[in-house]
Amino acid sequence: MRTADLLQFNLRLLLRQRFRTLMSLLAMAVGVAAVLLLTGLGEGARQFVLNEFSLLGSDVLIMLPGRKETSGGIPPLTGEGTRDITLEDALALERLGSVQRVAPLIVGNAQTHVGGRSRELLTVGTSAVFFRLRELVVRQGQALPVIPLQRAEPVAVIGSNTRRELFGHQKALGAWLRIGDRRFRVIGILDDRGESLGLDLSDGILIPVAAAQQIFNTQGMFRVFLQIRPGSPMPQARNDIQALMQQRHGGERDVTLITQDALLGAFDDILQLLTLGVGAIAAISLLVAGILIMNITLISVSQRTREIGLLKALGASARTVRLLFISEALQLALVGSVLGAVTGYGLLALGHWFFPLLPFVVSIWALGAALGIAIATALVFAWLPASRAARMPPVLALQGLAR
Amino acid sequence: MRTADVLRLVTRALLTARLRSFLTILGIAVGIAAVSLLTTLGAGLQLYVLDNFSQFGSRIVAVNPGKTQTGGIGGLLSSTRPLSLDDADSLRSLPFVERVVPVVQGSGAIEFGRRVRHTDIIGGNGEMAAAWRFGIAQGHFLPVISGNSQPLAVLGSRVKRELFGDAGALGRFIRVGGERYRVVGVMASKGQMLGFDLDDIVYIPIDRALSLFNRPGLMEIDITYRAGSSAQQVAERIRQRLIQRHGVEDFSLTTQDEMLSSLNRILSLLTVAVGALGGISLLVGAIGIVTIMVTTVQERTAEIGLLRALGATRRQILLLFLSEALLLALAGGLFGLLLMALLLGVLALAIPALPISLSPFYLLLALLLAAVVGLLAGVSPAWRAAGLNPVDALQQE
Amino acid sequence: MIRLVDLSKTYQLGDQPVKALDQVDLAIEAGEYLSVMGPSGSGKSTLLNMIGLLDTPDSGRYFLAGREMNALNEEARAAERNRRIGFVFQAYHLLERLSARENIELPLVLAGMAPAERRPMVDQIIKRLDLDSRASHLPRQLSGGQRQRVAIARAVIRKPALLLADEPTGNLDSHSGAEVIALLEELNNQGITLLVVTHDPAIGQRAARRLRMEDGRIIDDSGATQPPSADSRHAHR
Repeated sequence: MRTADLLQFNLRLLLRQRFRTLMSLLAMAVGVAAVLLLTGLGEGARQFVLNEFSLLGSDVLIMLPGRKETSGGIPPLTGEGTRDITLEDALALERLGSVQRVAPLIVGNAQTHVGGRSRELLTVGTSAVFFRLRELVVRQGQALPVIPLQRAEPVAVIGSNTRRELFGHQKALGAWLRIGDRRFRVIGILDDRGESLGLDLSDGILIPVAAAQQIFNTQGMFRVFLQIRPGSPMPQARNDIQALMQQRHGGERDVTLITQDALLGAFDDILQLLTLGVGAIAAISLLVAGILIMNITLISVSQRTREIGLLKALGASARTVRLLFISEALQLALVGSVLGAVTGYGLLALGHWFFPLLPFVVSIWALGAALGIAIATALVFAWLPASRAARMPPVLALQGLAR
Repeated sequence: MRTADVLRLVTRALLTARLRSFLTILGIAVGIAAVSLLTTLGAGLQLYVLDNFSQFGSRIVAVNPGKTQTGGIGGLLSSTRPLSLDDADSLRSLPFVERVVPVVQGSGAIEFGRRVRHTDIIGGNGEMAAAWRFGIAQGHFLPVISGNSQPLAVLGSRVKRELFGDAGALGRFIRVGGERYRVVGVMASKGQMLGFDLDDIVYIPIDRALSLFNRPGLMEIDITYRAGSSAQQVAERIRQRLIQRHGVEDFSLTTQDEMLSSLNRILSLLTVAVGALGGISLLVGAIGIVTIMVTTVQERTAEIGLLRALGATRRQILLLFLSEALLLALAGGLFGLLLMALLLGVLALAIPALPISLSPFYLLLALLLAAVVGLLAGVSPAWRAAGLNPVDALQQE
Repeated sequence: MIRLVDLSKTYQLGDQPVKALDQVDLAIEAGEYLSVMGPSGSGKSTLLNMIGLLDTPDSGRYFLAGREMNALNEEARAAERNRRIGFVFQAYHLLERLSARENIELPLVLAGMAPAERRPMVDQIIKRLDLDSRASHLPRQLSGGQRQRVAIARAVIRKPALLLADEPTGNLDSHSGAEVIALLEELNNQGITLLVVTHDPAIGQRAARRLRMEDGRIIDDSGATQPPSADSRHAHR
């Protein structure tokens, strides 16, 4: 039988059993759409997270005070070690050959006053280098000035929300504000930028690190960001840094170094697994759709017993009869899958339209897997009924007696 | 018509088209198995997490410095208005307050002889073990004292094993961050909590921890209260007392109640969401029932005509076909639960640590869900059957 | 017992309206034996369906046992069918998956009768129609004549006043056909009102009262006959 004839033959049948055809298409389409929609959402979430958090290049190390023996567990995030990481440590690190930039960080909550207004704000003590490392964009004014780390210059760069909350419609640039009992002049306002690394800087305020030490009455750094010099191998730089800190801390290895890659990698793995899991759960529905197609093919075979007998009498081989029924199921699966794919991606695009934050991702592997599974199930599940039809003895089939 | 007769007629019809019925049941079964398996796993996870969190007792209020809690790490950050030990002591006189535990956490080197272990150090007071419901394996916990403390330490079971092996630790001297401490107790093993090893901790007095970490203030104050007062009431009294001392509200309060209930909400939502994902399969299964029932009605048109001629009312026809759909779905539900039990068994064998909680409520709910699916899917074909004109129906064949 | 007044019914066949019944007036006494003959499409079957309460007229009135049937809703009509009317079809219309016994039992099941109550009734009818040896067989294991006997048993199990037979011998060979007609006539002799629609003049001539239809009208009526004796009618109420 020629393919064109086969397709036309099937099409007639499918159109005649309109309701049944519609339902099988619906079942397949729901399954495929669910798989694509869910994996698409998962992929989108993954890329969103990666974009949002991978602001530090892979050449940036984060140092925290304290160290734990247990490997693979949670790093000592409390930021308290028996020995502080001091500004002097930071300066010494800067002099290391394999280190290009060092940005010390003290983070705290501080009561900030402007005129009669008072807000508790996330206050970050750091240096000009931090702006480069985090690619912070200053909308108005300038970033923190390049000054020696020990100098507590009374200047501040504020986030956009902070500006609104503290100053309202008044001019903020050049104005003075008070943090704790110290006065600072606003020299810059950050561009609107979402949350990153869990700290929302648009609600924050940045001041020189030495000023933060005074405000918070502390010596130790909460974190130190280290950018490795281009060309220096990472393990080498790691060793240099650890060795220097050990030497400076009386032979104790009491700091932890992590890369953002390591943190993100774990996150990425989890999200990928989640996407895969969610997709697999949705794919169960394709199995159910396959069962339905099998059932419908069985019904089709039993209702068309006489027709099978006739075709055989007209000289159709068992192979042709099998092909007839399998191609019918395949056609259903294919059209259903395409409908499902269009619906799934349509919904994703719609979601992207309403929530632009959500990236619209067409993942080839998900599409391939969904279509593959759909067609494979149709094939597998149509095989038994099609073979039953192929085996029917022509005479009995003609009398409608074959089973 | 009698129920027994309806059942008999319907079962006979389903058994006659055996393979067809089986496949339809299988479709629903896969859907029900997916939904019930996923919700069971979700509920198990929920129970596991809640258990982990409530092992500290539920009558706890935590105070952290800073009004805004950035990403839940507020206590770790520096603050212009730290919570002091005096703040903690001031809470003791509040009504219903049972224990007040100031907390600082950090990490550092613990040395015994030539053995060194870098691990977590928690600064607390003598009431900590009781407040957190931690058991003591040997010796006793830090003594309850007022004023300056002695250099005494209590070891988590893992730290004890790593430093002392099987030898006795009580009365021996260790170095914590370079200072000499005498071991007065060893904690009973607590295991892991969400990846955090509760046995890999050394406990030292709070004032010493603050100076060891060179930190101006506490990370947290935990207050337990006696029965007879609500978490809200106790929290409100703490709030008033601290505002009185600080002038403004520059701290935040979390009650264990609140935390557990919001955690519970999130996890329940997650369970429902995952169950809903499984529900997609159930939806496809329902499409299967509709399709098969419509086909069945088509094939049995003449029979419907005959039954009407024999005096069957429309309602009886509706009942017969609706029962057929319902029976298919219920059989699918039962089969699905069986399938789930099988998968759950395999999973439990493969991953023994998997928290599984089978609740009969959810199982019944799954069956109910199957029944609802059957009714919804069956209603349109059954309606179609009942609406057939008997004269036309009789002429079909 | 039956009175049709000015009964009309029009069907839409494609875009052609067809008058299946055209102002039909008819009175049938209890216990009568009627045959209805006429060419295809003359309205024989419509008349039968109308009397059998399977179809509703467009206009006119229908009285059964003194009660006006037009006023009844569909569910009440179903109850009337179950209680007063038995049908025998050309195609038997047996449920293939049920045994002969279960097929016969169906009207009782639909009426909600308890199994203990219906068992003796079914036993009795099976014995009377000589189906003992076939009772547990499925329809496809029976001959055509046997199938029609099962269908007749089912039609009379509730002891209806009226038995409607639409081409009851159409699918049977002449021998089985004669047996089925003999059975129907025997039932009529015992008091049941019998109405047979047929193409076959030989069968039509056997009825005491013969109707001939054409284009939805009764063009010939051999006239009402004397019903059988009162006691036998009483026995089959």
